[in-house]
Amino acid sequence: MQESAYFTKYTPTPNTWDEMFGADAQIRDHYQKVIQYLGAESIEELNKKEDLAKRLFMSQGITFTVYSGDEGIEKIFPFDIIPRIITGDEWAFVEKGIKQRLEVLNLFLKDVYSNQFIIKDGIVPADIIYSCPHFLREMYNVKVPYDIYVHVAGIDLIRDYDGTFYVLEDNLRTPSGVSYMLENREITKRLFPDLLPQCGVRSVTEYPNILYKNLLSLSPRQIPNPTIVLLSPGIYNSAYFEHTTLARLMGVELVEGRDLVVDNHKVFMKTTTGLQQVDVIYRRVDDEFLDPLVFNPSSVLGVAGIMGAYRKGNVAIVNAIGNGVADDKAIYSYVPEMIKYYLNEEPILKNVPTYQLGNPEEAEYVFGNLNKMVVKRTNGSGGYGMLMGHAATQQEMDEYKAEIIKNPRDFIAQPTISLSAAPCYMQGKLTPRRIDLRPYALVGPDGIEIVPGGLTRVALREGSLVVNSSQGGGSKDTWVLI
Amino acid sequence: MPEFKIQHVTKYTYDSPVRDSANQVILYPIQDDYQEVIKHDIKITGEPFVDVHIDYYGNEVGSFTHTESHTKLEISSKMLVITKHRMYPIDDMFADQQWSDLRLLNHQVPFIDFLRQEYFEGLDELKAIIESQKIANETPYQLAMRFCKYVYENFDYIKGVTTVETTLDEIWKIKAGVCQDFAHILMEMLRMVNIPARYVSGYICTSKATMRGEGATHAWAEAYIPNYGWLGLDPTNNIIANENHVRLAVGRNFSDCSPVKGVYKGAAGHTLEVAVSVGNPDDDHMEEYEHDIHHHDAPIPKPANVPKNSYRQYMEMMQQQQQQQQ
Repeated sequence: MQESAYFTKYTPTPNTWDEMFGADAQIRDHYQKVIQYLGAESIEELNKKEDLAKRLFMSQGITFTVYSGDEGIEKIFPFDIIPRIITGDEWAFVEKGIKQRLEVLNLFLKDVYSNQFIIKDGIVPADIIYSCPHFLREMYNVKVPYDIYVHVAGIDLIRDYDGTFYVLEDNLRTPSGVSYMLENREITKRLFPDLLPQCGVRSVTEYPNILYKNLLSLSPRQIPNPTIVLLSPGIYNSAYFEHTTLARLMGVELVEGRDLVVDNHKVFMKTTTGLQQVDVIYRRVDDEFLDPLVFNPSSVLGVAGIMGAYRKGNVAIVNAIGNGVADDKAIYSYVPEMIKYYLNEEPILKNVPTYQLGNPEEAEYVFGNLNKMVVKRTNGSGGYGMLMGHAATQQEMDEYKAEIIKNPRDFIAQPTISLSAAPCYMQGKLTPRRIDLRPYALVGPDGIEIVPGGLTRVALREGSLVVNSSQGGGSKDTWVLI
Repeated sequence: MPEFKIQHVTKYTYDSPVRDSANQVILYPIQDDYQEVIKHDIKITGEPFVDVHIDYYGNEVGSFTHTESHTKLEISSKMLVITKHRMYPIDDMFADQQWSDLRLLNHQVPFIDFLRQEYFEGLDELKAIIESQKIANETPYQLAMRFCKYVYENFDYIKGVTTVETTLDEIWKIKAGVCQDFAHILMEMLRMVNIPARYVSGYICTSKATMRGEGATHAWAEAYIPNYGWLGLDPTNNIIANENHVRLAVGRNFSDCSPVKGVYKGAAGHTLEVAVSVGNPDDDHMEEYEHDIHHHDAPIPKPANVPKNSYRQYMEMMQQQQQQQQ
């Protein structure tokens, strides 16, 4: 095998699972073809490809928004041209694990909003559920179509030093990033047109079709062409690019709250030819802002009265309202127990051990070992407001601790998991960087479908373990092999 | 058994036309062993369909919309209710036993919701007061009654001094408010000593018109007493809420029970008038009283430049969303 200079310099990170390099310093089989291909290319050629990728992202306006910093808030999501590769076997395992988990989280949501068997049987403490701000009493006894609450999920997976997959977070509200999965693949097709078929990479392009099919099946009216809309908070939202992309790919209307009105418990879209009844809403507006009559009264992103239409079954809302109680980080630690409770099965995917700071004994342990911990807000997302113990100064730790003491229920801690690394093309050479994986699962009346792929996020800073795009992360195309 | 005929009218008047209004009403009297609803009618401007559902706390909640352009919205609720006197707690169990019974409820649904302390700045001060109020071997019932008296004696009843948005902090500072503020402070005190407490909205009706909040939308608290259940305590009048209190809804706080609230689109500010009258059913005469509970008409600022041209006025109407709450 011919090896270029940029490749021989690759040094795997110690004590870390390297997606490309095996323990015996051999390139894993599933990376062979790509490395051979890359090895045959010159640095100039690769630099050109990297440059092309940048220009494509820029010209297509594939951006996201960062809610801090002085520069413009619209940023290009940095893209690394080397794909992350997952074997067919690894994928089969991940797929099975996510399906099991989603089935259970859905049963849990149905349960907490109706009979609450799991509370009565003492599996999940009532306190944890009732203190979760996303447990919406307004959803109690509301019937949702096919009993499906989670229609779209983006479950975050990481791999520890031995390659074991762990679930880091269940994102069951309005998970974003799927447009990057689709766009990254489009870019790769242009950069390495021959490589995808040669390597036997499974396609991800079905995603919008499956989502559309599922949305269609939820229509309360049995009519040939139900009206489906994508409800976006608008151009200032960090995922606005994604909202426009998905609406375009599915061929549905992109609307904002002000385009909709509720009349007699039905939702209508204002069109140039009058009001048109809306049957299904794929909403990317958070629960709190969805209905100013019932939730946050000052919200102008939602539609007043929409909860009434939903309660009466006149409109389907995707994802269901109130899902936040199932992906709350304090409730996360009970998911393995839920799997045993509802399915009488052992969890396929592991949880990261989690300490509840609301529990004084666990809090004491965490405070004693803060430098080995990652502390997060139970309702936070996007990597905002986290404490990475191993990298924090004493002052940062003290300040964070003071925050925790104010409201311990709002925090959890997890031991620092090292995250696996994958080769990235940086300044003319291959360099390992930490990654995670967010596959996108779609749940419809016919079952759970997961397109083979997902979003691989990369911590671009050397040594960093934070992959969130808002915290300087990038992404890679994610290949699942046949 | 007292019989009350109650009429409760809520009227919003807008300076200029508004539209797309969505509203929620919690105006349906509770039906149980101590309260029988003989008749209840709600009439609303434009006669919209009102969908009624049961919320998490068991209250009947109505919702309706009024999308057409309008300049007033009137909600008139008329009822005929028979109430029954409920015996007071016998309170013959040892205090220790009662307190330990209450501790068992700590982590139980639905009591969790009624024990959750709302954080406010006066909490430490309140804690000190509670400590000073405690007497050895006192039962939850006795303590709850004393807290009720404490609120009655230490807070001034002043109409209009607070609004629905006034925080506990402010009420604590000015030591004054109306019935819902009294109820909130009492609930806070009860929850602090681990007695579950919930908010009640309704009407107080007596024949002599001598009570505060009389004939108006009223609010008080309920304390959970072991071996008895929910005991109504009206700190505004320092009495046990019994057959003269007609209950509409229970919840964690005012927001769970807000009798009338809505959101509409339009540039106009609004005025709110609430009238509640209670009469003897045999007699057509209804006494009128002023409203007690706060409403939400004050904070809506008038637009600085009221658009003169009708296109801009229309655009404003389509874009500006406002809230209304009784």
